[in-house]
Amino acid sequence: MTSSLFIDIGSSQVQKDGEDCFGDTVYAKKIPEEQRIIGILSDGLGSGVKANILSSMTTRMAMKFMEDNTELQRASQIMMDALPICQVRKISYATFSIVDSELEGKTRIFEMDNPRYIFIRNNRLFDIKGREFSSPKWKDRKILVSQINNLPEDRIIIMSDGVTQAGIGNKKYPLGWGRQGCIDFVLSTLEKDPYISSSALSEKIVAEALNKENGKKAGDDISCMCLYFRNPRKLLIVTGPPFNEDKDKEIAEMVASYDGKIAICGGTTANIIERELCLKCEIDKTSFDAKIPMASKMEGVDLVTEGILTLTDVYRMLKEGIDKNSNTASARLVRLLLGSDKIDFVVGTKINVAHQDPNLPMELEIRRNIVKKIFRLLQSRYLKEISVQYL
Amino acid sequence: MDKIKVKICCGTSCFVMGASQIQVLEFEPPADIKDKIEIEESRCLNYCHNTAAKYNHGPFVEVNGELIEEANFEKVVNKIREIINGTIK
Repeated sequence: MTSSLFIDIGSSQVQKDGEDCFGDTVYAKKIPEEQRIIGILSDGLGSGVKANILSSMTTRMAMKFMEDNTELQRASQIMMDALPICQVRKISYATFSIVDSELEGKTRIFEMDNPRYIFIRNNRLFDIKGREFSSPKWKDRKILVSQINNLPEDRIIIMSDGVTQAGIGNKKYPLGWGRQGCIDFVLSTLEKDPYISSSALSEKIVAEALNKENGKKAGDDISCMCLYFRNPRKLLIVTGPPFNEDKDKEIAEMVASYDGKIAICGGTTANIIERELCLKCEIDKTSFDAKIPMASKMEGVDLVTEGILTLTDVYRMLKEGIDKNSNTASARLVRLLLGSDKIDFVVGTKINVAHQDPNLPMELEIRRNIVKKIFRLLQSRYLKEISVQYL
Repeated sequence: MDKIKVKICCGTSCFVMGASQIQVLEFEPPADIKDKIEIEESRCLNYCHNTAAKYNHGPFVEVNGELIEEANFEKVVNKIREIINGTIK
């Protein structure tokens, strides 16, 4: 488990100018039991509602077939038979790119008529020859299958032709931005920011493509999905004093030996770590806020905050979106959470009697409850890998 | 004259009971005591853990080591002025 990769997956889309809905569909799904991630990008024939229906049908069908490991020829035949036939062009049509990745690093890519995927390793483009398949009934529809064994820091980018054909007909880009233009852009972006997240990278690609268009109006749906394979970024969150004081040392040792980022949430907890590890901890006055107690700085620890109030505010931000440009302790903790892939919670269950005072506001939750809410949200909405240990 | 040490507890219960308003001392202190105090925030002074008291009486502030219970901005400022005036005499 520990040696397995983490896949950061992100996508971005712009719809064709003047249309009400996306003609492309992007859809990704994690299958935790199989340690597998499937990402699909489909471009429906035409644009608007019709294209939206074609591409969503293709995406959903493809996802089901991939999940069930249906044989490729059969799956593609059923998909093509099922799609409605376009009245104008007399064909049923939606292109697709499918990335099917296992966390040990085995990845298969299926493509039909989309621009070829971009695979980047060590900041260089790798062109991989795929094998061609076609079903007997639809001989001219070729599916390209490629297989990659992924290593950490690999990236795979799939896109619709809206990206490669951006700016087509312009004086500057008579044939469009092109796949090569996109590759050059990605490589130069990665040179500047090698650890950029998938969602940021796909947003940049789409924004750049839109830039090439006449009057910055998209002439076609522009969609892009990026996958970033990396060793998981780990974060340890220690919150609350342990029920038994003998465990203080255990918690401190966990903090001292952890191989990742560390956050401590709780005044008393921080005092315990400070005492056990003989570290110095100072209040960081740049994080002053009237609602959230200030953060502190401790050597070897990435963030020290107060407990319940900060965690309650973290939960609010995870639900409603992060406060931009905020420097409060809670905003810093949210950024730390969202920037991590694997988060280990260590929760001390000792109850602070002072918090049970009926004069205090209702919002003062019991630590265990608020932590439970936070990690459920991180799991379901943000697809983070979570472990929790109560002490 | 040594500066007067003001230690404000910013633990959870003290904070919600009003310690955040006492923190104003740090950023906008009254002019007469501005140069005479030294503020220190503490993550938790541990007074609230004293369960013998019926309820806790936060927020807790220490002024030169002397504990003020149920502190608020005025109480703390008055205490500081008392000490300043006392030492002048």
